[in-house]
Amino acid sequence: MSNHSKVGVYLCQQGPAAQSAIDLRAVSEYARSLPGVSHVEIRPTAWVPDPVQLADQIRRSGFDALVVAGPSPGHFKPAFARAMAEAGQSPEQVRLASFREHGALGSLDRAKAVVACAVHNVPFGLAAKLRHTVVNPATLVIGGGVAGIQTALEIADAGFTVFLVERSPTIGGHMAMFDKTFPTLDCAACILTPKMVAVGQNANIKLMVCSEVQQVTGAPGAYQVKVLHRATRIDASQCTACAACAEVCPPRVASEFDVGIAERRAAYMPFPQAVPNVYVIDGEACTWVQSGGKKCGVCVKKCTKGAIHLDQQDRVEEIEVGNIVVATGYDVFDARRIERYGYGKLPNVLSALEFERLTNASGPTGGKIVTKTKKYNKRKKAEEWVFDLAGAAPRNVAIIHCVGSRDTNYNKYCSRVCCMYSLKFAHLVKEKLPESNCYEFFIDMRAFGKGYEEFFERIKHEGVHVVRGRSAKVEARGDGMVLRGEDILSDQLVELPVDMVILSVGLQPTRETPELARMLGLSCVDDGWFEEANYNIEPTGTERGGIFVAGVCQGPRDIPDTVAQASAVAASVLRSIVGGHGLESRGDLSLDEIEKGARDLAPQMQA
Amino acid sequence: MANIVRVNPGLGEEVQRFGADDVAKCYHCGNCSATCPMSKEPFLIPRKSMRYLQMGADERLRGNLEPWLCYYCGECSDQCPRGAEPGETMMSLRRWLTAQYDFTGISRLFYRSAAVEVGAVVVLGLLTGIGFYLAGTYLGGGDLNIYDGPRAFLPAYGKGGSFFSFGGVHTFDWAMGVLLAGLLGINCLRMWYFTMFNDQAPKVGIGAYISKLWVLPWHFISQRRYSECDKKTPWLVHLIMMLSYLTMLILIMFFLHSVHYGPEIVWQAHAFGYLATVGLLFGTVYAMYGRANKVNTYHKHSHASDWLFPVLIFYCAVTGIAQHIAHRTGFPALANVIYIIHMMGVVPMLVLEVPFGKWSHLAYRPLAIYFAEVQSPALLAQARARQSAPATARAA
Repeated sequence: MSNHSKVGVYLCQQGPAAQSAIDLRAVSEYARSLPGVSHVEIRPTAWVPDPVQLADQIRRSGFDALVVAGPSPGHFKPAFARAMAEAGQSPEQVRLASFREHGALGSLDRAKAVVACAVHNVPFGLAAKLRHTVVNPATLVIGGGVAGIQTALEIADAGFTVFLVERSPTIGGHMAMFDKTFPTLDCAACILTPKMVAVGQNANIKLMVCSEVQQVTGAPGAYQVKVLHRATRIDASQCTACAACAEVCPPRVASEFDVGIAERRAAYMPFPQAVPNVYVIDGEACTWVQSGGKKCGVCVKKCTKGAIHLDQQDRVEEIEVGNIVVATGYDVFDARRIERYGYGKLPNVLSALEFERLTNASGPTGGKIVTKTKKYNKRKKAEEWVFDLAGAAPRNVAIIHCVGSRDTNYNKYCSRVCCMYSLKFAHLVKEKLPESNCYEFFIDMRAFGKGYEEFFERIKHEGVHVVRGRSAKVEARGDGMVLRGEDILSDQLVELPVDMVILSVGLQPTRETPELARMLGLSCVDDGWFEEANYNIEPTGTERGGIFVAGVCQGPRDIPDTVAQASAVAASVLRSIVGGHGLESRGDLSLDEIEKGARDLAPQMQA
Repeated sequence: MANIVRVNPGLGEEVQRFGADDVAKCYHCGNCSATCPMSKEPFLIPRKSMRYLQMGADERLRGNLEPWLCYYCGECSDQCPRGAEPGETMMSLRRWLTAQYDFTGISRLFYRSAAVEVGAVVVLGLLTGIGFYLAGTYLGGGDLNIYDGPRAFLPAYGKGGSFFSFGGVHTFDWAMGVLLAGLLGINCLRMWYFTMFNDQAPKVGIGAYISKLWVLPWHFISQRRYSECDKKTPWLVHLIMMLSYLTMLILIMFFLHSVHYGPEIVWQAHAFGYLATVGLLFGTVYAMYGRANKVNTYHKHSHASDWLFPVLIFYCAVTGIAQHIAHRTGFPALANVIYIIHMMGVVPMLVLEVPFGKWSHLAYRPLAIYFAEVQSPALLAQARARQSAPATARAA
């Protein structure tokens, strides 16, 4: 800074002051204390810089450098550069201090540091140096969906240890529940299960199912993680998946894997290709556990291996890892929230996942698309609507897009996958029931990927009726249902008798996302998804060094994109392991450290 | 039908000044039209109007009856996935249309500026007060202590040998009535021209007009269409309010002699008068309470004109009651003073609201329903023809 004596600092308020986390007055106080700064002023929101006026001020005050600071001050630069040129100074001496670019929107100290670096004319990234630490080569992957599987395999195949933590009894996530993938119509299970098996067989992968991350401490490169292992009550090393326990197990509860359209026992395996391929016992449903060991216990006697220990307790394991990958996926939107579609009240209004299981060959009807039938449940002593092989095939099927997405009352964002999976549903309906009528009610068709538009064209030629206009309600009428909507291209109201309605529900962050974000020190965007370090050029990293995000937990995306991102995350993790240093978060550096770094570097920058 | 639509890019902003939300929010999912119980072919409300608004098709909008077919139950706004407030947009379009129909341009001034509208009410109110006071004292030479009869301070039917030799206040009532009806009539004629003679309107014969004529009085009296909304309470309140207002209007215009002249007021006049007063108070208090507390979706956004109308009617009702009490309890001087205060509200309410303000919907709504009924069969036939046309083209 020695050869510059007079720096003018302009702090530009962008957006309402009340909404900004940065107190510009505090930043201006700080900037005043920096060497060489002769003038600091705050510019209000919606201020338009006038080069002539500015040039005047520059001349009067004798500035030879300017710092323009703000959340995104880039668009002010041309005006300032012109003013500098007009005032006879070098236009290159207009330096931007962008809070957004350097992740300083939420932190006052960070913002001060960004301004300090600009005053010293040192790039922020250089001043806020990364610290080199020894990296533990083990990696924790949270979530065993396709993203977690892909990351874990890539890292493990490179020869490093991976702890793969999954909450449910099997890995596979949502993808394992799907029937087909779009637009290639691959059988989802056929392409996923080999990967799942590879995970199970890879010696480098420590698979932890029925487990949850409880606590994370430490620093990048050396994290200590407490993992809670829920009691599965069956010794996985002894279980041969003979199913004897499930056959005798009396309680029946709704199957999570079949999203409630089928039942399972308390002793169960989610689906036959589950990895690890062992049975578990659900303590919540188990008669023995619920009665405190007084009743039942019949499975213990049936198990020829003596693998069942009903009194097993939850336990906590501590592991040490260098990097953490968050791949926790999503929850689907609860369509009950939109009452007018009748989900939860009308039996044949299904959510997308329910249809996915219904049409899946491993689903309750073996993949046959039928409407629900009313049956008497002897155990509950009540009539209920169930999917049954004897059910009638629907003649008219309507698929409603954007349920809970692109809606300011629910989730305002586009969930990105629903258009395409809806088209896939339409194809499956027409393929299995060629005589049926299938209607797609959409608002805008988002078929943006490779082969997607072609798939849309294909299903149109398969005789699917594509109606532009979201339907407003589904009502029971007589024995059936009527769907009311507007076909906006023909300015006509549509009243359609339907036998089955599929709601294309959107994706939303999992219920546990905020808690996990707190635990890991990550931030979330307004919509609730994990925030990446930089949307454009660092979509896999986070503000915290050594913690990465993969898949939908960062924002809605489809399977190919998820897998691509998961591999990218693995590359980042491997780089840190092989390079021997963790990507330490710049956020950990204090203001004084960054300022000192900038001051030290300043002479070099001048030269 | 190669009609060229002229677009006015500033239309959205213009209608926003009448109270509409940002029309660009709408992405045309059709949820509103499908939700609306009033939306029936050939009149699909409200999405089509939203489209015209986005396009800036002001001529299409000006000839559009659809805003008048909506009663703003608020269902569409509640369910709108974009928060685009289609219900309030329809309300704003009704204001905008009122301004379009008004040939004087006064309506537009009022709707765009609350200050102008309220200012006009205040100025006209004060002028009325001064005028009535002068008429009673200097011009008429009346005695403030006499309330009714030919020798009254402000005689209803006039008295010889004074300013009131031309007739009384009631003569003035009728003169004003004719003038306002004339202004409103011209605006109604413009509405008829805009809506029935544009490139979208089908040609209809005189027969259609005659056969549907029953719609006008029937919908005016019963507000039948309003009752087709899913929510029935607003209809009931509005009906009570409208019938009360109508009763009062008839009593004053045609039976003034039996309302004004005590103490021998006939019981029928009493019965109807009290009922109507209760109805008016109830209706206006309901409207004002709802707007103040934003009770329902249709109360959420209140334009100045939405307030002014019920407030003025409430004012007239309350001062009318006070005047009646003063008169019946034997305080003629007080009754005369309150009468002037009463008229300071009544005159601006009628002069400004009937042809230029919200009052005019008493005429526009039934007319719109009537015109819609007249157009309906022809429009439906057109739509059917359009649908079958491509099929024949394919066959050929």
